[in-house]
Amino acid sequence: MPDNVKDFPTGIDLKDEDIYEAMQGIPGYLDITSGDFKELYSLAYRRALERLSRAVTAAEIMTTDVVAVKPGTPVAEVAAAMGRRGVSGVPVVNAGHKVVGVISEKDFLSRMGVKEPRNFMSLVAGCLLTKGCVALPIKRALAADLMTSPAVTVAPDTPVRDIAALLTQKGINRVAVTDPAGRLLGLVCRGDIVKATMGRGAS
Amino acid sequence: MIGTYFRKMTATTQSPPRVSLAEICWSWLGGFLGIAAVAYLNYGWLDATGLLLIIGSFGASAVLIYGAIKSPLAQPRNLLGGHVLSALIGVTAFNLLAPHLWLAAALAVATSIALMHATKTLHPPGGATALIAVIGGPQVTNLGYLYALMPVGAGALIMLAVALLVNNLAPRRRYPEFWW
Repeated sequence: MPDNVKDFPTGIDLKDEDIYEAMQGIPGYLDITSGDFKELYSLAYRRALERLSRAVTAAEIMTTDVVAVKPGTPVAEVAAAMGRRGVSGVPVVNAGHKVVGVISEKDFLSRMGVKEPRNFMSLVAGCLLTKGCVALPIKRALAADLMTSPAVTVAPDTPVRDIAALLTQKGINRVAVTDPAGRLLGLVCRGDIVKATMGRGAS
Repeated sequence: MIGTYFRKMTATTQSPPRVSLAEICWSWLGGFLGIAAVAYLNYGWLDATGLLLIIGSFGASAVLIYGAIKSPLAQPRNLLGGHVLSALIGVTAFNLLAPHLWLAAALAVATSIALMHATKTLHPPGGATALIAVIGGPQVTNLGYLYALMPVGAGALIMLAVALLVNNLAPRRRYPEFWW
């Protein structure tokens, strides 16, 4: 069996004995070895996974119950909304509901004087090392000042596979799903992709 | 590099399990009836005419179509296609290259393997059918291209009919997996 197949995850740890016993359960002579079967199974399993992830689209897994903020929303309100909903990013939409940007925790961190803002812990470190609140520099800022713009958006029929590649490539955690006119339809975050894979893969 | 080459000669897996006693009996019965049909017609009816209905490669076909009936190699497309195409190749090789029989034999077998691959009709006994067309002596070579029709085509058809009738008598057998 080629090495690239041997180490490929097959979903379950398939042992030679399992295949041998299964072959005994089928009457008649099967002219295939358990090794060949395992190789075939691994490749077929990989194809099935690819097909499933290709088939599922953004529209099917996106979160539609999204809190969106306006460019003129004060960042304090943005932060409060994110905290309330337990989300780490929100889209910013204009009056026509078109997505003009996205605000994530990262945008907050980078504007709060945290050098090399990697995560929340760098903020904690910044807090502990200085006097006063590190949020002061952005106290009066608006969503439009902090947001990353233009936002990374995808069409509803984008395959989940492509979204996963996009998130990895851009180093971001969510994309806004928009209609052709750029209006917000929903949000796909990394968690949505994980959930979709679990639901399909396990069944 | 050399190490990799020799390592490939070590095995990677185990032999498939032994089949049940019932399976062995059905394989025996199929083999007996299939060969009996072509052999009886050959010796009982055709002996005087100089025609043939049985050739050595049918023994090998019997192993597949009565003993390994799930194998892709044992399906009707492979049985008929493999035998007839290989017979045509064998006769052609003999016609072109006799009396250089060693070359005709090698070309016949190698080309029939390639053609069976290309036409998705791989049937191991086909290689023997091609070889017999070259080394079978005057009784075979005098037939010319008739060899592909009879004994090869007709004999394979009879063997196929027996396979359809006998294999499907067995409660846990089903033949064929695919026709074409």
